[in-house]
Amino acid sequence: MNQIDPDQVQVILATDCGSTTTKAILIQKLEGVYRQTHRGEAPTTVEEPFADVTMGVINSVTEVEELSGRKLVDESGRIIQPASGDEGCDIYISTSSAGGGLQMMVAGVVAEMTAASAKRAALGAGAIVMDVISANDKRKPHEQINRIRELRPDMILVSGGTDGGNTTQVVQIAELIAPAKPQPRFGKEFTMPLIYAGNKDAAPLIEKVFDESIDLSIVPNLRPKMEMENLGPARDMIHDMFLEHVMAHAPGYDKLMGWTDAPIMPTPAAVGNILQRIAKDKKINVVGVDIGGATTDVFSVFDKTFNRTVSANLGMSYSISNVCAESGMENILRWVHFDMDERELRNRVKNKMIRPTTIPQSKEALIFEQAVAREALRLAYIQHKEFATTLKGVQQQRTVGDTFSQEAGGQTIVDNMKLNLLVASGGVLSHAPRMHQTALLLVDAFEPEGVTHLAKDSIFMMPHLGVLAEVHTKAAVEVFEKDCLIYLGTCVAAKGLGKPDKLCFTFTLRGDTLNESGEMNFGDIRLLPLGPEETATITCEPSRNFDLGAGPGKKIEQEVRGGTVGLILDARGRPLRLPVDRPACQKAIAKWVDAIGLYPEPEEALV
Amino acid sequence: MKHSRVSPLRLLFLLALVSSLASATHGQEADDGVVSSPPRPPSNLRAVDYPMDKGEKIDLTWDLSLDDPENVSTYLVYRSRTDKEIEKKIADDRKKFIDAVKTAATEGLFGEGWKDRMADLTQEQLTHVREVRSRAAERAETTFSSDPTSEDNVYKFLGTAMPGENEFVIDKLDGKKSYTFMVKAVGTDLSQSAGVVTEVGLTPVLQWFDGEWNTSGGRFWLSIIILVFCGAVVFWILRARSGKPIRVRKIAGLEAVDEAVGRATEMGRPILFVPGIQDMNDIQTIAAMTILSHISKTAAEYDAKIEVPTARSLVMTTARETVQASYLTAGKPDAYNQDLIYYVTDEQFGFVAYLSGMMVREKPAACFYMGAFYAESLILAETGNHVGAIQIAGTAMPAQLPFFVAACDYTLIGEEFFAASAYLSGSPEELGSLKGQDVGKIIVVFLMFIGITLFTLAALTSANPGLSSIFRNMGDFLKNVILT
Repeated sequence: MNQIDPDQVQVILATDCGSTTTKAILIQKLEGVYRQTHRGEAPTTVEEPFADVTMGVINSVTEVEELSGRKLVDESGRIIQPASGDEGCDIYISTSSAGGGLQMMVAGVVAEMTAASAKRAALGAGAIVMDVISANDKRKPHEQINRIRELRPDMILVSGGTDGGNTTQVVQIAELIAPAKPQPRFGKEFTMPLIYAGNKDAAPLIEKVFDESIDLSIVPNLRPKMEMENLGPARDMIHDMFLEHVMAHAPGYDKLMGWTDAPIMPTPAAVGNILQRIAKDKKINVVGVDIGGATTDVFSVFDKTFNRTVSANLGMSYSISNVCAESGMENILRWVHFDMDERELRNRVKNKMIRPTTIPQSKEALIFEQAVAREALRLAYIQHKEFATTLKGVQQQRTVGDTFSQEAGGQTIVDNMKLNLLVASGGVLSHAPRMHQTALLLVDAFEPEGVTHLAKDSIFMMPHLGVLAEVHTKAAVEVFEKDCLIYLGTCVAAKGLGKPDKLCFTFTLRGDTLNESGEMNFGDIRLLPLGPEETATITCEPSRNFDLGAGPGKKIEQEVRGGTVGLILDARGRPLRLPVDRPACQKAIAKWVDAIGLYPEPEEALV
Repeated sequence: MKHSRVSPLRLLFLLALVSSLASATHGQEADDGVVSSPPRPPSNLRAVDYPMDKGEKIDLTWDLSLDDPENVSTYLVYRSRTDKEIEKKIADDRKKFIDAVKTAATEGLFGEGWKDRMADLTQEQLTHVREVRSRAAERAETTFSSDPTSEDNVYKFLGTAMPGENEFVIDKLDGKKSYTFMVKAVGTDLSQSAGVVTEVGLTPVLQWFDGEWNTSGGRFWLSIIILVFCGAVVFWILRARSGKPIRVRKIAGLEAVDEAVGRATEMGRPILFVPGIQDMNDIQTIAAMTILSHISKTAAEYDAKIEVPTARSLVMTTARETVQASYLTAGKPDAYNQDLIYYVTDEQFGFVAYLSGMMVREKPAACFYMGAFYAESLILAETGNHVGAIQIAGTAMPAQLPFFVAACDYTLIGEEFFAASAYLSGSPEELGSLKGQDVGKIIVVFLMFIGITLFTLAALTSANPGLSSIFRNMGDFLKNVILT
């Protein structure tokens, strides 16, 4: 890979090879600022008959080339580097989730401890975790061996025991994997990569257990002490293995790896990377969500701790039936403000599952799809909260004052009150007909508390920027701020519950374009116009039972940012509780839909 | 000191006086020249067994004296004595008479205040006093006489009823004895009518239910409280059985059991379980065994080593049985090692010394202190903390709780400790029972609140005696009748 001087970089080309499409973006330095200028898209060509991922890359880059008028591919079909005049680019980078991305199996001694740490390492590295094997997973050894045989992961991560701790059960886990002889997904002739990140004392014993059919790599323990998690070395090794084994064996990737200026990253790892970078630079807490057809990824950075979860069965097309089954049709329908025939809805769900690329053709279909999305996002976020926890098995420090308030370890670190930025991506969110719909989808599903900025990834650019951040942080951050995120606005929501129509909070807004004050009663939601790039100072005084971030009943004063939607004042309470009675629920939803202007009637055509 | 001697004449006079006292009845007639006009007696005295009592009450009713109310100041109520009571009364009277005679004889010898001068008497004088008293006693013994069939001996005075009242409840009767009753009217000049007596004896009968609701000692309110308590327990058990979920507050200490065992597993160190220092007859030790069962099952599942040193041999035996059963339930009977559950010593500090040493040497990753603990609590908890173990304690000893809370990661406090069984098992019966007991506790708290409010109001309204007494009476009723 070429040595890059960040100050000399003028043109950056980035691609993301997805399962179905390969997306290319062009970033150029304009008037001293990096901006995303053009975008191209082409079908991914990793499968037969092409079986060469670079073909899709070249096609998408060619589209960018045509749109920008800049020559990026030479006659031999290679990306031109470095840039000179109207030709080529200084940096070329790529991510990949083709062929289902990186699929891993992880193992540890105790499911909630070393196995959970191993899972966090794998998910953080952008993998999909197919299964977690542990000593206490209630399965008999033969069942575990069977399961390992059934799975065809790209690689395996084994952990277990603190340094100087348990060796017996760590070796026992290895002894389950060795005879199972797991086969890699790609390239049967290649050996299965296995990363050992457990008790260092057990490493020599682990080496003895595996023969040459396993490519064993030993990295420092990801849980050297119970009080400490060290995921970095394991994650780095996963990336290396991803390139060496998975990518190298996928069609065309060996060629693509030769073109890029930074290692190809799994797409989710790149998304996580840019979110972490932004959270660190701006000192904020961020939650990002990417809702796809089969899975929903949730990323969070709270107090510098990054977590990612993949809800494998929550999606808007292939997994839509599962969303309905898991949530229940009545829970989905509570978001719909008119009567719908449940039978017809079920047919609609199945149709979406077998024809995943269809999009809603009527307002009713759109409203229903967005109702399903709310539930999918809500469930995915619940799973994320359960996973993103403090470490378990850690000694607690108490005082006598804790007599009646002893909290168990392993509490979630996700705190909506601390959340500063909520970023949406994925078809149903990014391509909603109105941004208002995206904003309220996020508010309903994630229930942000206090003051939270809402944004969406305009063209799912985060993966590109995640890799770019590795080689040119400044460019990545600038593009993220200016072109990647479309700010929808800010949500100001009170935590707590009260009686309907009783005062929730009062507000006063002072800004260049918006000066307003008023009262919000419990159950109300209101949208105030505050355009992109506009800011205002809001002063809110909640009533006794409500909290806006400073504590129950305490006043807050904060700057809010406008967006394409505006400023949402949410006095519906947290946790958000919809009326159980169906007509009352419909009435409440209808009121909220009207208040935000989600589904306005189309204006009559002028004749 | 000079002592006067009693003349024989004076002694005779005293004896006569005491004798007349002994034979006197309470119905002595008025003298000093006042003419007595006793009222006519009440009539038709009826005795019936008191309904719904515990067999010690009888209801008396009578027709009022024809002189009521003009010449009746009160009614005197009597009951018959049993033979033993008569014997006892006569014996008591005899003793009193003899004592009086002895005292009179001594006073005749030394005058009043002789007791104070006893210390100053010479040996000779003391001998003389003893002889005088002995002779007086002998004389009184022969003089005393009492007729067992006399009214005074046969009937015992119980109480009075006001004019116009014609009923009286007699309590504290023996349910195995038969009684007759007598009522007399007392005139305004304190003269007494002849007594009216019930014709046949009556024995109070033990009823199936002591249902008095407005007097102390009844079982009416107790039965209501029991019904509510048991009803709540039964209701919640049935509700739990019907499949409706029962929400029980999360108890961090019990939730953390898996975490503590997991830590021990990951660190490859043992788990230490100390079941207190009391024997198996202590309820806390029994509760500890319930928790040990759960912990050892988890340890068996995780393949962790659990060590249980005990201070009582019986506790060791029970713990062995408990842990063995848990390993069997977990499907790992072969992993059970009874040598890890052993007896150390009955001596409190010998036991603690052993445990502290063991903890420092073996550095267990998880320590459980469940049961009755005394002064050793802080020593154990601090040692455990020092070796870096996750510590979970549970005890109902209030004095030890602050130490455990400060030095342990989690502490089960009193009730939580006893609720652990239901919490851990999750069985509908146990959870329902737990919930039902909670309802009972809520009722108790509610009644305490009512009582405190009533007495506070009584104190606050002391300027208005009428209102204050209403609150006080209500409070007294709650305290003395409902809750007694």
